[in-house]
Amino acid sequence: MSKIKSLFDSRSFKSAFIPYFTLGDPNYNDSIEFGKTILDNGADILELGIPFSDPVADGPVIQRAVARSLKNPFSFEEIFRVTKAIHDHKPETPLVYLTYFNPIYHCGISKFLDRAKESGIVGLVIPDLPFDTEESEILFQELKVRDMDLIHLVTPASEKKRIQALSKTSSGFIYYVTSFGVTGERREFSVDLKERIKFLKDTIQLPICAGFGISTPEQSNQISQYADGIIIGSAIQRIIEENGSDRTKAVLALADYISKIRASIS
Amino acid sequence: MGKNLPGYFGEFGGRYSPEILTEALEELESTYQKLKKSKKFKKELEYYLKNYVGRPSPLTYAERLTKLWGGARIWLKREDLNHTGAHKINNAIGQALIARFMGKKRIIAETGAGQHGLATATVGAMFGMETIIYMGAVDVERQNLNAKKIEMLGAKILPVTAGEATLKEATSEAMRDWALNVSTTHYIVGSAIGPHPFPTIVRDFQSFIGTEARAEFKKRNHKLPNAIVACVGGGSNSIGMFHAFLKDKQVAIYGAEAGGLGSKPGEHSATLTYGKTGFLHGTKTLIIQDEFGQIVPAHSVSAGLDYPGVGPEHAHLSQTGRVDYRMVTDEQALDSFLEVTRVEGIIPALETAHAFHVARDVAKDLGKKKDLIICLSGRGDKDVTEVLRLLGERSK
Ligand SMILES: Cc1ncc(COP(=O)(O)O)c(C=O)c1O
Repeated sequence: MSKIKSLFDSRSFKSAFIPYFTLGDPNYNDSIEFGKTILDNGADILELGIPFSDPVADGPVIQRAVARSLKNPFSFEEIFRVTKAIHDHKPETPLVYLTYFNPIYHCGISKFLDRAKESGIVGLVIPDLPFDTEESEILFQELKVRDMDLIHLVTPASEKKRIQALSKTSSGFIYYVTSFGVTGERREFSVDLKERIKFLKDTIQLPICAGFGISTPEQSNQISQYADGIIIGSAIQRIIEENGSDRTKAVLALADYISKIRASIS
Repeated sequence: MGKNLPGYFGEFGGRYSPEILTEALEELESTYQKLKKSKKFKKELEYYLKNYVGRPSPLTYAERLTKLWGGARIWLKREDLNHTGAHKINNAIGQALIARFMGKKRIIAETGAGQHGLATATVGAMFGMETIIYMGAVDVERQNLNAKKIEMLGAKILPVTAGEATLKEATSEAMRDWALNVSTTHYIVGSAIGPHPFPTIVRDFQSFIGTEARAEFKKRNHKLPNAIVACVGGGSNSIGMFHAFLKDKQVAIYGAEAGGLGSKPGEHSATLTYGKTGFLHGTKTLIIQDEFGQIVPAHSVSAGLDYPGVGPEHAHLSQTGRVDYRMVTDEQALDSFLEVTRVEGIIPALETAHAFHVARDVAKDLGKKKDLIICLSGRGDKDVTEVLRLLGERSK
């Protein structure tokens, strides 16, 4: 059984908290500290971003994070080293990668997955790899033999037919995109968010976690009433952006924010 | 599996864009399939192409260039005579008509040289649609005349400052806008790039270039040309020129891509020469990337060729060998720009100047009594300031 599945099967929380941040922002060693802090303060699953030069699904905050990260020399060795250090700090928390498909393809799918798994990764989120591509099918099979998950995105625009088709090659959880557009903090969500998530729960036999735009404890609390998990990226990345030049300050700010969100959805 | 899905050219193409765009792409595809068969749509498109754009564009026999180069007879397919000065308007009108049919009132576009931005702003004005143009901040500078025209037409330019602040970043930003506004907005992709069905739609709307050129050449000369040449940025004017000739095996086809300053990463935009298979802006194609799959910034003296990817159909034509793609440096393009201007009295776009350089070599190799058509994709008014600046640097 995959690590994510067993986490949700034996859940001790109402809603899982799934924070995201980009590795290498502002540098790789600070990422290790940020990762440990986030794990210590209440992440149920942690999403680690592998920076990609052209993140078309991301808003300005994450774009800037990626740009800062890529100022450091990029290498998969660095990515895996940092991932392993974060994983070793709290091996029971599932780690997943969020990245675009090109770097994975370029690295070579099996080589990438073997190294990712060794480093403690149990699943992938790839915003530019739709499920109905040959590459996605290959990736799903390759992940499956390694007991890893392929987490697909479903959006307010996804039609029923597509959602049903997608469920065959999805595992772990569904990443439900709460609003149109790219990642970034938002004040409001689409009015039918609750209904859409209910519908997804009835259609797909996987936990449905909501992300894109969530930032405050109030929003998390509200959405946790019906979603299996809350994904937060830009708000965390903003804390790193604003405090990243001072590691100690950034760690304190992250600890405070993460624990508040965790408390809001327990 | 993927390869059997529509929208692939050999192993290239497909749809690798964020899920939020999928429904819009499917709507676009089904609408286009329907309109393609509709006589009314065809008539409407032909009406605008004839009465607004000025099609068919003439095929000019370039007598002086033929003499100067001393090889094959040179013919020019005059897309520079189109309203707004380049081939981009063919596609902008076609897609604006689709957008109108789908009930979308807002159109957005990316632009490099500004010709596609200008074409989109023009159709936006004509059809009364709100128009937003994403343009790299660097390109707003070096293609300032077009940027000014775009604003004068009532469109809004949103300069993009990320990364290299050129066409790649403008394209990413336009995709993000579309993801946010997908229900009200149509994204008029300006080249034969992007997720399916864009490469096919853009190619179809540009294929008037080759179809007209082939028919007129045949009518005047009772045969087919021996070779055709076009410049390749994303690849829209070239695929439009090539498509009607792909089955004519006796016609040699050449593409000219930007060799920039040299062969090192970051110095050129020569995707078909140096690119490797990858995924960018929703399509699987050849891309200039580093050993980790990060996209390498492109460079070209011409903003319209300054893109690290290329339309998937070109990637396929390169792989099969049907088209011979060659590199042209910034210097060579600048020389050809000046040569054509002085010899033929036509100021070509810097993009097109790349095609002229390849054509000169091909003409010499073909020899006399053979015929070669160059797609003159656009006029160079927009480039005059930049060329003067470059000449100033050269004389230092
Ligand atoms: C005159 C002209 N030719 C060629 C191009 C290159 O684009 P494509 O390869 O799509 O024809 C451009 C792009 O802006 C252009 O303005």
